[in-house]
Amino acid sequence: MKRIEVKLSLPVVAPLLDLMKASSDVLEAQIAAPITLEDIDADFREEWRAELLGGQQEELHALMGLFNSDFFINGVVAFDEDNAEIIVRACSALRLRLRRHDLRVLEDEQLESGGVDLETLPVALQKPFMCYVFLGTIQELIIQHLDGAILRGPAGDADAGDDGDDGDVDTEDAEEDKN
Amino acid sequence: MSNPAPITARRIEPLFAGAGTRPGLAPEEVALPESAFAVQGPWRVVVLNDPVNSMSYVVLVFRKVFGFAEPRARRHMLEVHEQGRSVVWSGLREQAELYAFALQQWHLTAILESDEAH
Repeated sequence: MKRIEVKLSLPVVAPLLDLMKASSDVLEAQIAAPITLEDIDADFREEWRAELLGGQQEELHALMGLFNSDFFINGVVAFDEDNAEIIVRACSALRLRLRRHDLRVLEDEQLESGGVDLETLPVALQKPFMCYVFLGTIQELIIQHLDGAILRGPAGDADAGDDGDDGDVDTEDAEEDKN
Repeated sequence: MSNPAPITARRIEPLFAGAGTRPGLAPEEVALPESAFAVQGPWRVVVLNDPVNSMSYVVLVFRKVFGFAEPRARRHMLEVHEQGRSVVWSGLREQAELYAFALQQWHLTAILESDEAH
């Protein structure tokens, strides 16, 4: 099993964990991404929302679980095919929360271009921004090294059936992909 | 509007089992009886841009959820990034819901649109 271990600087990362935990706690009851369920039947929306929230909670528990007592001894977090997908998703959820709440004063263009200078940010924004970057770095590391594992899925899924594509149409893409 | 069955773990699982474990197995073009569309669709799954999720993340999600090959996933990602939205799939309502749900599980902003609205 492919596994990557990352040694983090405790003095840098430890102060970020409180904010990550606080954001994670908020996301126990709130879906991170802006979702629109207007097109979904009313009877159906709550179940849809609850399923999304349940998955998100599981992701965040997995992420915060990386920073356990062992982490505070050796500063190491490990990613492998068992946790890569869930951690990548958790990072996305937390980054969305940070962006929509703690970093809401920043312009989209600033965040997308990476053109934010930590030193020039107001002090109140520095820790959220460091958190945002830290989580993005974890994501990129995992995607760079474990994307194959994520695409394959956890062991045991390989024999699962392919029920999803019956009757689908994707005319535009199907045409272009032939070229 | 159709009246789909409630989402359950059992109902959602096949999407990941199929699309998730078989990269490269993209949806195929399949002829459907007109009556199927008349009752249920067609519907579009549209992904909207967000300033948070990285390009590599979005490509990964498209590959995982739809089984797209990387160039195709990248093309949709760039469309989202540059035009603010991309139609990533269209077809029957129930399957469109499954895809939209899967994308939302990955924290992308995915919506459903009826083709009749266009």
